[in-house]
Amino acid sequence: MADIDTIQTVEALAGDKYVHGFVTDIEQEFAAKGLNTDVIRFISAKKNEPDWMLQWRLDAYERWLVMDEPDWAKVSYPRIDYQDLYYYAAPKQKDGPKSLDEVDPELLDTYKKLGIPLREQEVLAGVQGAPRYAVDAVFDSVSVVTTFKAELAKVGVIFCPLSEAVRDYPDLVRQYLGSVVPVSDNYFACLNSAVFSEGSFVYVPPGVRCPMELSTYFRINALNTGQFERTLIIADKGSYVSYLEGCTAPMRDENQLHAAVVELIVLDDAEIKYSTVQNWYPGDADGKGGIYNFVTKRADCRGDRSKVSWTQVETGSAITWKYPSCVLRGADSMGEFYSIAITNGRQQADTGTKMIHLGAGSTSRIIAKGISAGRSSSTYRGLVSVHPKARGARNFTQCDSLLIGKTCAAHTVPYIEARNASAQLEHEATTTRLSEDQLFYVMQRGLSQEEAVQLLVNGFVKDVLQELPMEFAVEAQKLVAVSLEGSVG
Amino acid sequence: MSLREALLTHNADLLPGRRDEDWRWTDLRGVLRPLPDMSTDLQGLTSRPDIEVLPGVIVRRHAAPVAGGVSDIELVVARGEVVLLLDAFEAGEGAYVRDAALPIRLEEGASLTRLVLAEDGADAVSVICSDVSLAAGATFHQTVIASGARRQRIETRVTHPGQGASVRLDGAYLLSGKRHADQTTRLDHTGPGGESRQLVRGVAADQSRGVFQGRIIVREGADGADARLTHNALMLSEKAEIDAKPELEIYADDVACAHGNTVGALDEEALFYACARGIPAPEARLMLIEAFIGEIVERIDEAVLQALARSFVATRLEALRG
Repeated sequence: MADIDTIQTVEALAGDKYVHGFVTDIEQEFAAKGLNTDVIRFISAKKNEPDWMLQWRLDAYERWLVMDEPDWAKVSYPRIDYQDLYYYAAPKQKDGPKSLDEVDPELLDTYKKLGIPLREQEVLAGVQGAPRYAVDAVFDSVSVVTTFKAELAKVGVIFCPLSEAVRDYPDLVRQYLGSVVPVSDNYFACLNSAVFSEGSFVYVPPGVRCPMELSTYFRINALNTGQFERTLIIADKGSYVSYLEGCTAPMRDENQLHAAVVELIVLDDAEIKYSTVQNWYPGDADGKGGIYNFVTKRADCRGDRSKVSWTQVETGSAITWKYPSCVLRGADSMGEFYSIAITNGRQQADTGTKMIHLGAGSTSRIIAKGISAGRSSSTYRGLVSVHPKARGARNFTQCDSLLIGKTCAAHTVPYIEARNASAQLEHEATTTRLSEDQLFYVMQRGLSQEEAVQLLVNGFVKDVLQELPMEFAVEAQKLVAVSLEGSVG
Repeated sequence: MSLREALLTHNADLLPGRRDEDWRWTDLRGVLRPLPDMSTDLQGLTSRPDIEVLPGVIVRRHAAPVAGGVSDIELVVARGEVVLLLDAFEAGEGAYVRDAALPIRLEEGASLTRLVLAEDGADAVSVICSDVSLAAGATFHQTVIASGARRQRIETRVTHPGQGASVRLDGAYLLSGKRHADQTTRLDHTGPGGESRQLVRGVAADQSRGVFQGRIIVREGADGADARLTHNALMLSEKAEIDAKPELEIYADDVACAHGNTVGALDEEALFYACARGIPAPEARLMLIEAFIGEIVERIDEAVLQALARSFVATRLEALRG
């Protein structure tokens, strides 16, 4: 038995464990390499954008030119040459497919391999009553297909690529785009504002509970290409939507840049649940290759009693720089942040959240679990800030770090700023390694070391996993196991 | 960037400000333009403390400078020696600027119990910094009690070698008016088997501002480190502010590190309980604050230092009355 275990473990390790690392061989068209106003005009023209959108991009580019790249995060990487990147890559196509049958079979095959259902009947073909979810599949700089649009439209929910929304719903886009993350918010958000290519747009009308999970699947395929997606979700009064985002990329020796912006707007009594399973290629064991994941995500709880819940499972990327935040503007608004960040090999993650309490009675809850293995480093960086008008604001924060091995590092940097005496803020953090006693206990009952570690790690992250929609929780749990393979012994 | 360099070279550009991560809540740039003249009695190193010896206790009285003053006094506790030390900072008149560096070195098996009582004028800017290094088997226990100033920063940086050395870094701040107090600690575990304990408590009334920054570092190879840090703050007024940043920076896996941080108002239920038993509300409030800060005082393990701390706290509590 033990022998079989060993053989299986060795086999699992021998092949590269990143199963999404294949490249789709497909004819693609690119913008010219480098970044300048011509490239921005090219992207804008490719998307048939109105002039105001182009001006918005050019304005962002002007501002980006004079900004400095931030260096305060606990991550280190060689300087990025922004002129050595492609800012637009898209599978070549004639007039744009009318139906899925016209989409390049190579592309369909890619999503099949990734396990993403692009055909509505395929989703339905499962067990009776199985949960359905709508998908927007983004391949490099364009959206390939968005499923269930018609069915969603029946209840008034708009779910489409952002480029389509710019053309079809310009008023909504103009009103909300950049209203949560301003153009020059930070270096990477500003870059994104200039060159963003694709992303999802969601609008849920007042009082509507979105009938299914919405999801966007991001795939970077082309070489030397950055992905700059931009997602905008608006939950109007009394509505509810659950949204999931997944990401993968091929294994390449070069680093690739992913600088996304996600903006959520939540009005009175509305709720957005936003879940991320981030599995970008992390680079190999020596730190070669992998995605630089520099992302700005922010939710604006504008309405009273509005609620946002961020759940993230971060297992991929060579470097992660990401702080999904909540601006709790409305009275009694509520923000939640549940995070699992796993680093292995040479990965570096600096991630956390910001809870800005502006409204009276606003509450927030932060549960962050960091796991470091190999030679990796993982940092939790968070801010809880209570402004003078946020009477009765309440925050609870818990961050726990788990270290596996002698060469990894874990850091915790929580900032608390309280300017209201009726606020109540609590923060707890612990850093420990896997307990020898627990390992011994579990192994004594017949589990291999690898299985024992998995079991204990699953227990460690359970609080966060249970916040994910059910079908993704299972996937995430597997991902956690895969990410830590080979980290013990 | 340091106040010292700025004072000695008379160059305000060298002042730390809110863009410096370690000084984000204690901005000196905004308050020190123009820089004061340095006191002229001694070049460079100006104010010197009066050192006296109470029975069993070394007392260093640090008088406030007239305008700007820097001081630099090292203390070495020899092998196996046991020392009790009181560093008393005395308030001066007006808007003086103080920069005191008080490095401490503990030789093998030495033991130092240090009490810092920091009194400064409401218009003063005062920066007090101690670099403390311990040899194996040494013991360093410190309690800092501060009442703030226009800007007051008390920073303690400890290099902890593990190997049986023991460190306790406690602190308390009691603030009223527009005072500001910053307690910053940095505890660097460099060797195996180090233990450290930290408890810092503060109260901020009126428009005062309390700042706490505590960083625990566990270096590669400092296995078996056991570090605990807790900061609790009470806000007594709508206009008070508390900023806190407890940090863990861990490069070893066999560790047990934890920090806790809470900010809130006085417990209304405890207040109601006391009032229901006939204690007037202002008295009840003071009792609760006294009990809250009292825990810091009680952790001082030398009776003579504990008595000094208690009387300092009692005076500051009076200022919070009303």
